[in-house]
Amino acid sequence: MSIITEVIENTRAIIKGMMTTVSYIPREKWTVQYPDEPVTLQPRFRGQHLLHVDELGREKCVACYLCAAACPSDCIYIVAADDPRPAEERTGVDERYAKVYNIDYGRCIFCGFCVEACPKDAITHGYNFELSVYSRADLLKTKDDLLITKQKQSPNYRVAFSDEDVDSEYKEV
Amino acid sequence: MAELIKVIINGQDFQVEKGARLIDACRENGYSIASFCYYADLALQASCRMCLVRIEKMPKLQTSCTITCTDGMVVTTESEEIEKARRGMVEFLLANHPLDCPVCDRGGECELQEMVFDWGDLEERFTERKNYAPEKFLSPVVANDSQRCILCKRCTRVCDEWMGEDAIEAGGRGAHTVIGTYGGWLNCSQCGNCIEVCPTGTLLDATYRHQTRPWELSRTTSTCSFCSDGCQLSVGSRRGEVMRVVARDRYVNGHNGEFLCIKGRFAHPFVNHEERLRTPLVRYKKGGRLVPTTWEEAVRFAAQKLQEVKDAHGGSAIGVVGSPRLTNESNWALLRFARDVLGTDKYTASEAFSLAPFFENLSAPLATHKDIRHAKTIVLIGGEPEELQPLTGKQVRQAVRNGGAKLVIFNSVPIRLKEQAAQFVHIRPGSEDAVVLALASPGDAEVAASKLGVEADEIGKASQIISETAGDVVLMFGGELSAEAQSVVAQLPAAFGEKEGRRFLLHPLPLFNNSVGVHDLGLMNGALNPLEILDAAGSEVRALYVAGGFLPAHLEGREGALSRLDFLAVQELFLTETAEAADVIFPAASFAETDGTFTNSDGLVQRVRQSIPPVHQSKPDWAITSQLASALGTDLGFQMSSSNIFLDIAHGVPAYEGLRYPLLKDESKPVQVKHALAGRRDVTAQLAELRRALESLDENAEKITETPPVGHELFKLGVLTSKVPQFHLLAAGNPEPESVLVSPLYQITLDPGLRREAAAGD
Repeated sequence: MSIITEVIENTRAIIKGMMTTVSYIPREKWTVQYPDEPVTLQPRFRGQHLLHVDELGREKCVACYLCAAACPSDCIYIVAADDPRPAEERTGVDERYAKVYNIDYGRCIFCGFCVEACPKDAITHGYNFELSVYSRADLLKTKDDLLITKQKQSPNYRVAFSDEDVDSEYKEV
Repeated sequence: MAELIKVIINGQDFQVEKGARLIDACRENGYSIASFCYYADLALQASCRMCLVRIEKMPKLQTSCTITCTDGMVVTTESEEIEKARRGMVEFLLANHPLDCPVCDRGGECELQEMVFDWGDLEERFTERKNYAPEKFLSPVVANDSQRCILCKRCTRVCDEWMGEDAIEAGGRGAHTVIGTYGGWLNCSQCGNCIEVCPTGTLLDATYRHQTRPWELSRTTSTCSFCSDGCQLSVGSRRGEVMRVVARDRYVNGHNGEFLCIKGRFAHPFVNHEERLRTPLVRYKKGGRLVPTTWEEAVRFAAQKLQEVKDAHGGSAIGVVGSPRLTNESNWALLRFARDVLGTDKYTASEAFSLAPFFENLSAPLATHKDIRHAKTIVLIGGEPEELQPLTGKQVRQAVRNGGAKLVIFNSVPIRLKEQAAQFVHIRPGSEDAVVLALASPGDAEVAASKLGVEADEIGKASQIISETAGDVVLMFGGELSAEAQSVVAQLPAAFGEKEGRRFLLHPLPLFNNSVGVHDLGLMNGALNPLEILDAAGSEVRALYVAGGFLPAHLEGREGALSRLDFLAVQELFLTETAEAADVIFPAASFAETDGTFTNSDGLVQRVRQSIPPVHQSKPDWAITSQLASALGTDLGFQMSSSNIFLDIAHGVPAYEGLRYPLLKDESKPVQVKHALAGRRDVTAQLAELRRALESLDENAEKITETPPVGHELFKLGVLTSKVPQFHLLAAGNPEPESVLVSPLYQITLDPGLRREAAAGD
């Protein structure tokens, strides 16, 4: 085979391949253009935890330690304390509240056992998945990071409605 | 061996002891029977109805906790009928229970929780409103949530039978029955045993309230560091902090059962108190400031100063003072330091009174607390066990109430225990020695009686009770006795002579956790006692090395003694009166941070185990002594291990021969040291001395007629107890706060005027 034939053959192969590529350009894209576009998350997605408050803004957590006991990766640390103030002025809904509530996201495996264990519905999984940090120590989130009143909604995701079909992986394209 | 009878449980034959309780027989043979209200050694209650069993030929289900086994009894413990009954009972128990486990401090170790897991239903069928009652405080140390109560009445029985106080009682009727106090505020000895025995979260420890969870705590079995009873307790700690102290059966099984007093249970916060010494402190110049420094520097400075004194005045110019608060190991290290490193005979321990004459003439074994409980006659000369040795007080009370023992009390103060006494001989203050004389030589009884201010036949009657006893006679004496009287007491069994079936047991009532230990080691046999050492300060004694502090009673009237010294080294937990005068202070580790042993008043050697790492820079006392010895050029050979020191003790002290740490591992089988028993000794010299002392007694002295208030010794603020805020409230008379719904600590400002002066050590 001469060198000329070889060049022609290879050029034809490249053109064939490029034609497939080019043919896809005008078609509809189903890759999410994160972070230019917000991601749509499933309603039961397990992201960073939320510590909830009641209608008066008091923390629901009573520091019963059940989440810490249920945690298989031992990432929850709580210090309980007594709050003798009258009910309206308290930090929490009860006399007992969590003075310290830390979750170490370096250890958390997002299994959801803590949520299941919680007798007061005080902790749930939120949707925030943007947990990357520059320092390992920053993976430890305190009550200030976890309280629902303190967390900020990231513009990078939205949560799907329960009847909304966002499972694009199985969509015909 | 008691007679055996046959009982058929679930179709199987078992041999049980005659008179055994059915519930115990079933449990011992592997059939678990649920129960709340049954508590061994307390009066029967049968109110929870959980232990129901079917007994053949009896019409209905029977409560096994009230049935005594009889020969040929046929029992069924597991059947559909019984399960139905138990499930029904649990449903009723929960009818008014709030099920607020997430906030309840008992959650995780609650007997009701466990019972509901076994016998409860998933759904509650009652739709009626539950009785509501807010959570409240009964005292600075007891919190109460009456709606969680299942009315097992363990607390009221414990309060009555163990403590003899009846401070807590059930009031109201039917579904509205609640556990409460007289007047809504607890004015008792605050022992907290009601908290311990409560199977639910009704009575709770107010100092541990809402702190953590039982499963979060690491538990260490240890020995109490307050009085000489040596109660076994379980220290719950979390992340290097002591959170609570309990004696619950499921964690620890010592000779005290579940009993603890206020100090053992609630006085632990001194361990992590912020005033603990953090670093070694050195005062380079007399009159200068104490400067924080490193361990190396402090040890170097202390060694240099001790060497200077030794070179200038000889080793015997240096005194070494141990403490009956420290472990045997630490005191042994000090003794070795004094003997081997300094070569001085001026060693002692800061003990309130020496037991040396007693042990020298000891003619009968020491009574353990179990012996006291089963004794037939108990003679108490002086002392006030219900305040100073609460477990002994409880055992005496139970021996009388549940065991039918006869209690004879000779005391100048009408102490509370006299309620249980068969005979209370009210003597004049300071005349305890005369009682000993009268008992030992009946010829002197008449003269003594007139000096004591009692009827002549009262002593005769007491002697008669002792002579007629069939069983154990326990002779107890307090710290009021003189050295001569102690020798005579130790020889009293000989004075009464042998009798078939009667056994004499002796029981001293020293004040501190290791009072017997410091005596056994020989630390009390030094040339000078603590008072003489202080008096010789600046003359014979140029330098002192003190572990723990002198008692306030020692320093009273001798305030300048410590400043007359050329050099004073102190190892302490806090900046006490002794430490403030020191040139070098080493921060020492408390009982929760060291390994070692205490010897209690029974002669039981019990382990102290490290539950948290030493706080700040503190070190165990023996480690400091050993380091100081190395700096002075002598290796004491301890290899930084307390078990090595104990081995050294076992080799050096005859009473401890053969003892090793592994032998002391099981707290339920404590080991008694083998104190040498002296035979019959001639005590005529001591008796003569007592007679001489009798002469000088004032015949017209006023008797003390007032019973001292509850807690006058227990709540006293000492170095350790003053670190617990609750003790300040109690010492100030336990004032009732405005609202019982909030902890009194948050309501009552602790103003220094309220704080009672701490007179003696705690």
